[in-house]
Amino acid sequence: MIPINWVVGLAAIIFAIGAIGVMARRNPLIMFMSAEMMWNSAALAFIAFARQWHSMSGQIMAFLIVGTAAAEVGIGLAIIVTVYHRRHRLDVDEISGMKG
Amino acid sequence: MSSFHLMLPEYLVVGFVLLALLGNMLVGNRFRLASWLGLIGLLSSFVASASIWSHSLQPQVMISGGVVVDNYSLLVNLFVLLAGIGAILLGWGERRWGQEFPVLTMISVLGMMILGLAGNTIVLFLGIEVLSLPLYILSASEHTTAGGEAGLKYLLLGAFSSGILLFGLALLYGALGSLSFIRFASLANTTSPLLWAGFTLTLAGIFFKLGIVPFHMWVPDVYEGSPSAVTQLMAFGTKVGAAAILLRFLDWGFYLSPQWWGPALGYLAVLTMIVGNLLALPQTDLKRLLGYSGIGHAGFLLVGVATHNLDGARAMLFYLLPYGFAVLGAFAVLILVAGNQDTVTISDLKGLAGRRPLMAAFFIIVMLSFAGIPLTGGFVGKFYLLQAALFANQPGLAIGLVVGTLLGLGAYLRPVQALFSVADESRATPVWTVSGAVVLIVAVIGTIGLGVYPTPVVHLVNQSANFFWLH
Repeated sequence: MIPINWVVGLAAIIFAIGAIGVMARRNPLIMFMSAEMMWNSAALAFIAFARQWHSMSGQIMAFLIVGTAAAEVGIGLAIIVTVYHRRHRLDVDEISGMKG
Repeated sequence: MSSFHLMLPEYLVVGFVLLALLGNMLVGNRFRLASWLGLIGLLSSFVASASIWSHSLQPQVMISGGVVVDNYSLLVNLFVLLAGIGAILLGWGERRWGQEFPVLTMISVLGMMILGLAGNTIVLFLGIEVLSLPLYILSASEHTTAGGEAGLKYLLLGAFSSGILLFGLALLYGALGSLSFIRFASLANTTSPLLWAGFTLTLAGIFFKLGIVPFHMWVPDVYEGSPSAVTQLMAFGTKVGAAAILLRFLDWGFYLSPQWWGPALGYLAVLTMIVGNLLALPQTDLKRLLGYSGIGHAGFLLVGVATHNLDGARAMLFYLLPYGFAVLGAFAVLILVAGNQDTVTISDLKGLAGRRPLMAAFFIIVMLSFAGIPLTGGFVGKFYLLQAALFANQPGLAIGLVVGTLLGLGAYLRPVQALFSVADESRATPVWTVSGAVVLIVAVIGTIGLGVYPTPVVHLVNQSANFFWLH
């Protein structure tokens, strides 16, 4: 049986990779993908803790996270495609015009 | 009362969302129909919330502690439905934003209502997502480059902040073994690194939605690029939803351990009040100015949470209403002045006092309420917050509040000053529209009413803040 700390450690590593990805990368698609990684790391942590506490609520939360993430991807990709249609470039520093 | 009756406001919104979706598919003149259905749905939900309200309503816990209907959740319902009705009226007849505008507004309002009901972290997460997902689409619905940019920024930072929130919730679950706020209070009496990390990340996620200073970068850009009616919904409704869940989460889940979060919240509140109002000073775009003002007001709201007493909770809940009325009024004027333009700068307001004296007078009233001048609701709200901070023996918060208010005064008087300068002859005189006039008049009556005779609302707020003692 895999110790709980290993699973939570893996979740934390995935979360950190996702967070660094959002902050360091400049392509909206990659940034969005990194944000989704953060969500999935949370789902993984929920499942690990659900096994630790022998309760179902963590698993319910994991299912809800997966479902919501699917909805968010649908909306997110649509917005990214619309922006790409207008600019034909995908770089958040170039897209960013509003300052102040 | 049956659980169906207690949840009727939410069910009504869901029902009218489905009706409006069906109507959009079946009927020819779609935009008009969807707007009417949205208006009727939100109004009926408003009436249903008001009818459930009673002095003796005991908190009703449903769905194994996930949903709590009490006077607090009903007050949140009334506030966010006001914001939603305002958004639909301000977007009335705007074909640019498409026929899905009323439907998405309703879904977003539903998410804010869910945040008022939340009793465990599952419902907290669902509420935040139901609120955010339609707003991503709405903020990108202006067909300009700024619109796409606003949508993209909101989407990326929203997904990022939701990720932080979710991981925080997962760690909290790991440390405490429960998802329910009320259970947190009895379990969270020992500090473990897991608990501390989860708590911090969760708060950071909620602060992102509320626009508290280190997490505020997205607010002005998103406010500027979004359609004005949507910005109004974000400025009023989202702030109510996020503030409601913050208060419930902290005062139910971590009531017994304020030493963890009280000081941190206090420092953030002072920082937010000062930075938000300071950055509002040099703005020329009116929506951007209101965005920074929204950050400043989020700081004022945080004062009520940071004091951690009943007075603070009451003052925060009360402050939401004058702020909301002022937002409704300011955006109504902004939309009337804008006409077919995308943006309104301060110079667009020049000469309004001569051309449309009544509109200018109403605009002055809501700006004075933002600034907190006596006889407006904003003054009474700030007074209660100041009182709560002093009762809690936190003079630092009170000083921050006064400094923030003074800085804000400078920011809000600049647009007022522009009203009286010489008009630019090339600009057309703004035209009154029925829906804009209705929103503006309600907002002005509310602002002055709260400033002159706040007692009825204070009673409502005091009853709804009683959730504070339920453990």
